[in-house]
Amino acid sequence: MRQSRVAEGELSDEGLLAGMAVGEQAAVVTFTRRYQRRVFGLAYSMTGDAGVAEDVAQEAMIRVWRHAPVFDPRRGSVASWVLTITRNLAIDALRLRRAVPTDPDDFAASVMRSNEHNPEDSVHRGDVRHTVRTALEVLPDEQRRAVVLAAIYGRTALEISESEGIPLGTAKTRIRTALIRLRAAVEPIEGVSDER
Amino acid sequence: MSDDLKKGCEGYSEDLAELALGVLTGRDRALTLSHVESCPRCAEELEQLARVADTVVQVAPESEPPVGFEVRLFERMGVADVRRHRFRRSHWIPVSVAAAAAALALGLGLGLSSSPSPTATAQAHHSGAVSGDLVENGRPVGRVAAFGGSKPWMSMTLADSSARGTVNCVVVTDDGVTHHVGTFVARQGYGAWIAPLHVNPEDVRTAEVVSPSGTVIATATLG
Repeated sequence: MRQSRVAEGELSDEGLLAGMAVGEQAAVVTFTRRYQRRVFGLAYSMTGDAGVAEDVAQEAMIRVWRHAPVFDPRRGSVASWVLTITRNLAIDALRLRRAVPTDPDDFAASVMRSNEHNPEDSVHRGDVRHTVRTALEVLPDEQRRAVVLAAIYGRTALEISESEGIPLGTAKTRIRTALIRLRAAVEPIEGVSDER
Repeated sequence: MSDDLKKGCEGYSEDLAELALGVLTGRDRALTLSHVESCPRCAEELEQLARVADTVVQVAPESEPPVGFEVRLFERMGVADVRRHRFRRSHWIPVSVAAAAAALALGLGLGLSSSPSPTATAQAHHSGAVSGDLVENGRPVGRVAAFGGSKPWMSMTLADSSARGTVNCVVVTDDGVTHHVGTFVARQGYGAWIAPLHVNPEDVRTAEVVSPSGTVIATATLG
């Protein structure tokens, strides 16, 4: 059959997810190869343990595959969706490993948050990495450390306050201030505004 | 009176940021979520902060998964004939995928790009960071990444290393000069740090974790 195939490079992330949703194995393979370095890299950055990172990355890719049919591209980019799933799994893994005591209510709270903030609610398409990296560069050093430690390395404000030798309130303020400044930087391309 | 009623919106402003980043834990997390549930203003604030938090993770350094990662994943997914996909040199996929994508595009108003998506294009290029595994006695114990730009910075994670207490991070540039990056605290072999880097990341040959007595605990070759 002529022209029965299209170059895989011509398919967007959303297109590959659509292929995965209809059970097309080639889409699964292409998508996995497109994302595995980013997913594993984030998991490895957060956990610092190759074994744990593989478990996290595998689970993240499995979840993406299973939930591909319900992905809504109008609500954000595939990259952000995939990496947010990865980050949340890595944070869970870190908590388990550190054996941080949690309030029983927190389990219910986690479910509530999952419903409130769907990781699909993230970004529009585009190479946001350059924009975010540039925005991080212009932050004061202490704010950049705080927000990166929290966002990419899953560190709590308490942990940051201890490692930085600063009061807990200062750590919290740095995280929040950094996040708000980043919001102003990424808002034009991400649609992070009150109009959404 | 609950803590929630005592605090009011202002009392939750900083916890919202941590919640958005997914690092708020325990009672604070539960209380903040409870407040958000009944406060539309804070719910909106949380949603916006969470959108920003979702973008920050995109600058995490990429890393090659362990050997066999793909095979193990495909086995779990039930993807048949992995070898065919693995060794096939042709970069083509069946038209059914394109059709599904086209249907998605038509239904949701998105275009099927005629060139690789911005995301894919970005992935095809270097992420802009140099990184490497921290190795201690032949065993990987962490990760180092250095980022360029107008204000270079580097990150380091340690896991299950022999580092205890205060340690130093240094980098060695191509000219053989050692540069002190910072002093950090490792807790039972674990830690994560971010620090400004005062040299060009592309000039960094290795990064080292060094004890106060000068013993090199772990080394990473960046590239």
